[in-house]
Amino acid sequence: MIEIFDPEFFSSIARLTTPILLAALGGSICHRAGIFNIGLEGFILLGAFMAVLGSFFANNAFLGALSAIFGGLFLSIIFAEFHLRRKGDPIVISIAINILALGLSTYLLRSIFKVSGVFSHPEIKKLPQIQLPIFNNIPILDLLINNQSILFYLSIVIVFILHYFLKYHKFGLWIRVVGENPEVLRSSGVNPVKIKFLVLLLCGILCGLAGAQLSISNVGLFVENMSAGRGWIAVVAVLLCGGRPIPLFFLIVLFGLVDSLSLRIQGLGLPQQITELLPYIVCLVVLIIVSYKKLRTLSRTIY
Amino acid sequence: MQSKSFLKIFRPTIEIFYAFFSIFILIFLLLYLADANFSLAFKGFVNSSVGGRNNAYLFSTFSKMALISGMAIAALVAFRGGLFNIGGEGQLVVGGFACAFTGLLVSDFGFIGIIISIISGMLAGATWALISGFLTIYMGVPLLVGSLLLNYPARFITSYLVNHPFRDIQSGLPQTFLLPKNVWLPYFPNTRLDLGILIIFLVYVICLIIFYNTKHGYYSKNMGHSLSYVKLSGLPTKKIVFKTLALSGAIAGIVGSIAVLGIHHRFTDGMLVQPLYAWTGIIAALLVNLNLWFIPLAGFFFAAIYTGAAGMERIAQVPKEIATVIQAVIILFVVGKLGSLSNLSSNKGVKDD
Amino acid sequence: MKISLRDITIDYDHLRAIDNLSLEFNAGEIHAIVGENGAGKSSLMSVLYGLNLNYSGKIIFNDNEVFWSSPRDAIQHGIGMVHQHFMLIDELTVLENIILGYEPDDALGFINFEKIQPEINALLKLYDINMNLNELVMNLSVAQRQMVEIIKLLYRNAKVLILDEPTAVLTPNETEMFFKTLRNFRLEKKIIILITHKIDEVMVISDHVSILRNGKLINSSKLKQTTKIKIEEQIVGKKLPKLNIKRGIIERKKVLEVESLKISTRFSHNQPIDLFIQKGEIIGIAGVSGNGQNELIEAILGVRKVLGGSIKYLQEDITYKSTRHRRIKGISFIPQDRRKDGLAIKSKVWENAININLNDKKFSIGPFLKKKSIKNYANQLINEFSIKVDSPNSSVITMSGGNMQKLVVARELSNNFPLIIIENPTWGIDVGSIAFIHQKILDMKARGAAILLVSNELDEIDVLADSALVMYEGKISNRIPKDIKFRENIASKMLSGIHFK
Repeated sequence: MIEIFDPEFFSSIARLTTPILLAALGGSICHRAGIFNIGLEGFILLGAFMAVLGSFFANNAFLGALSAIFGGLFLSIIFAEFHLRRKGDPIVISIAINILALGLSTYLLRSIFKVSGVFSHPEIKKLPQIQLPIFNNIPILDLLINNQSILFYLSIVIVFILHYFLKYHKFGLWIRVVGENPEVLRSSGVNPVKIKFLVLLLCGILCGLAGAQLSISNVGLFVENMSAGRGWIAVVAVLLCGGRPIPLFFLIVLFGLVDSLSLRIQGLGLPQQITELLPYIVCLVVLIIVSYKKLRTLSRTIY
Repeated sequence: MQSKSFLKIFRPTIEIFYAFFSIFILIFLLLYLADANFSLAFKGFVNSSVGGRNNAYLFSTFSKMALISGMAIAALVAFRGGLFNIGGEGQLVVGGFACAFTGLLVSDFGFIGIIISIISGMLAGATWALISGFLTIYMGVPLLVGSLLLNYPARFITSYLVNHPFRDIQSGLPQTFLLPKNVWLPYFPNTRLDLGILIIFLVYVICLIIFYNTKHGYYSKNMGHSLSYVKLSGLPTKKIVFKTLALSGAIAGIVGSIAVLGIHHRFTDGMLVQPLYAWTGIIAALLVNLNLWFIPLAGFFFAAIYTGAAGMERIAQVPKEIATVIQAVIILFVVGKLGSLSNLSSNKGVKDD
Repeated sequence: MKISLRDITIDYDHLRAIDNLSLEFNAGEIHAIVGENGAGKSSLMSVLYGLNLNYSGKIIFNDNEVFWSSPRDAIQHGIGMVHQHFMLIDELTVLENIILGYEPDDALGFINFEKIQPEINALLKLYDINMNLNELVMNLSVAQRQMVEIIKLLYRNAKVLILDEPTAVLTPNETEMFFKTLRNFRLEKKIIILITHKIDEVMVISDHVSILRNGKLINSSKLKQTTKIKIEEQIVGKKLPKLNIKRGIIERKKVLEVESLKISTRFSHNQPIDLFIQKGEIIGIAGVSGNGQNELIEAILGVRKVLGGSIKYLQEDITYKSTRHRRIKGISFIPQDRRKDGLAIKSKVWENAININLNDKKFSIGPFLKKKSIKNYANQLINEFSIKVDSPNSSVITMSGGNMQKLVVARELSNNFPLIIIENPTWGIDVGSIAFIHQKILDMKARGAAILLVSNELDEIDVLADSALVMYEGKISNRIPKDIKFRENIASKMLSGIHFK
């Protein structure tokens, strides 16, 4: 047991949680605004690639993160054009966006950097880690939340901002209304399409940052299909929490915990394929439990 | 008023032009980024998608077409019934593995062995799809995410199996042993094209019959249009769901089997995931707006893009992933014409009152 | 203040919804706009409220031509609208619903709830309305929800109130209260536009009445200058065939028996429901929609959880049997929401002409369909029920509402099942189809079917039912026999609300 719960275990939780959390926050505002965005996987992937691209060419990690944001916004605008203006089905658009991001990131990786598989280079600058001296002497907390990437702290702050924003801000109110019934908002003199567009842009920014966390916060490299299903875990988390930021936070920390656990137990000799599967299994199990509970309370039969 | 009606008439034309123009610009940009020689790239594309010595490339397009069309039919069967089974990938993978595994066991039986292997692939695919159906009906898990999440166990478990217990260690790769020649799908005479495409054609015809001439096809179609109508009409909804998903998964299993018996002759880790067969199939099914009749056309189209892109890579050093990008963009441009696919798209799902 | 619409024309794809129509609304007047479904009332009002921008013609506001680019412009000019389907969000509080779109906010855009609460409370006091602003809308009754809509308009300082079928969801005494509020507004010199199809109410409350038919203005005059009979004629435009009410024989054989049934519903005190229907009898269930009628039907059909009690069909206990079992045993069902529950509208007409009877040897052998004979059967239904459609191969979605409903009725009644459950069969369809469907229901009764008719229209129950029950908040009243005071008795039960039995 000692071998599992070593310092590396605790400090990896935040690292593994952050990208999923950021993406899920983006997904949750979409969910609240009634946009069924299951393309988070693609958003993260393109964000991760753009972060490396920006960081490499600008030689600056923050410009890398900015470039990741542009990657996310690019997909947001595509989503908006085809969903809001051309009234396409969001599921189909999400699927297309996932495939587009996968194709585009791999294509650009191979055509710009002339490598396939992995691109790593010393010129890729990493985002700074932040040291908070007040936690230095608190045993586990120090490992958990100290010396993490700046995006980790940002994502925690966003959880709370988003919570209050949705509850007490007028734009937050509009988001909630547009998700329940856009016609109500229209008849109150606010254009629901505009709100949805802004929500998509916000989602793009958050997912772009999620990608940046993945590629330029700890590792400083890009791997083909780097998001590897994290976007889907975020989608499931959003569905399970109904897009509410606070429960979302706790659920994703749970997933992050399992993620770092699975990294640890790999060292114990379990085959890699089985440990990598662990987060998905936990995700599926939570999904089943929550869904079953909901099914039991339904007063109508659906099938 | 005059100009308005003028616009109305020409709008579809303008839109098509706009779509083609956008895709053209995109391809141009991508090629430019890759520093490619344009005419070489174009030549490589055309030559490799339909040309080649003795039409070798055309046949490889056909063989891809079989897989893509098969996955498109698998997706279409489910979508038509309003069942968002996007777990085709998992069903394809378990089908492929089961077939390879069985193939090694029954290799002595020759032709019969082929049939048994395909059947076991079918059963594996169908079982995998039925698990997501079970989760949907008895556990209340939305099929969309349930079927998708099941892709990962399929992928990782088969990966484990070919990395450890069933690995052909001498080959150096995570893969099963090569199947003996007598359980390979035979080739068409004087070609390198296996009979897989015929099997898919058979599946296609059977599905056409099921869709338009059987009770199940009728039920399934109506369920796709309105679940609550079908339920209130007293039609056997659960049975329809399970049958539809089983059919969809079985077809994915057949596709996996064809890839194993006809093309690769073994199961290699990731060989069915990496080329995005399942997702391409979904896109192809959506491109034809879930009209089964046009599936071969869509299948050929996407297969040609794939093999063409592979040719571009060989000849003009353009990464073949350009095919993936083009596919995604094409589906984006038709998505507005498809309308809403199901009530799943509203994220509230089923509302209880 | 004055507002007028000049030469308004609205074209939908192939349909002229409003044809060159001009109207004028004056301050201190309740202006009723009447007409049957599809006459264009709602289309016209969506122009005035800035929701529909694809029209030709002018809106004149106090002698100036105005153009709304969105409802916001209209609201800014003091126009407010209460839609037939309330524009409220169940999950939000009353306060949030009221201030939506016009939130008092600080520099960062956060809403200042403390500041606004007293303001709205003052408004409530002014109009003598009792309402908890922090209650969730989902916990309000329908009448209270309507009040929230009205307060919303007052908060926005509306001087023109457009009310789309406001009384459709109110009980008779709630309607009375509502009219009192309207009269108050009239005194304040507001313009009140009342869209309705209830002529009785027009006669009671309005000052001016305009009649629309097929998108054209048939007549617009002071109420005093016209009569009820005239208005009725102008609405319909043609004489309808009189219903042929055959005196069937009600046999003492219970087809459906519901005994102390408890259903899983949102009504907190779900009182057990008792009810029976005999052969050859039409039982009407009256009441404002949303009072548990739909839940009762779902329980009888087996799609809603039953918590206790029993449902018997022809002596067989079917309480926990599947929907399929019940339907095969012989229950026909005509739902209110035909587009979702009654048809697969994207499928073809012939595919909708059968459902539960598909296993019939006439229509299938083994797993295969006999398409030809199904199509023949569909043709037969089309002729028999005079359904207007190109061919059985047409898609249902191309049909009009009335013809869709005829198709549902044709399919369900042609089975000749002993029990027929009908829910608001004439909701949103044209007068001609209504008469046709009413006649078919009466014919089925004469042939010995037991019929459960749920309807929000008192007239419908009055004409068709042999006896009636009233539902209110999940509870059901005793049987009201058909006698001279049938109508009055039902209305008084609805009036008394909770005080049942």
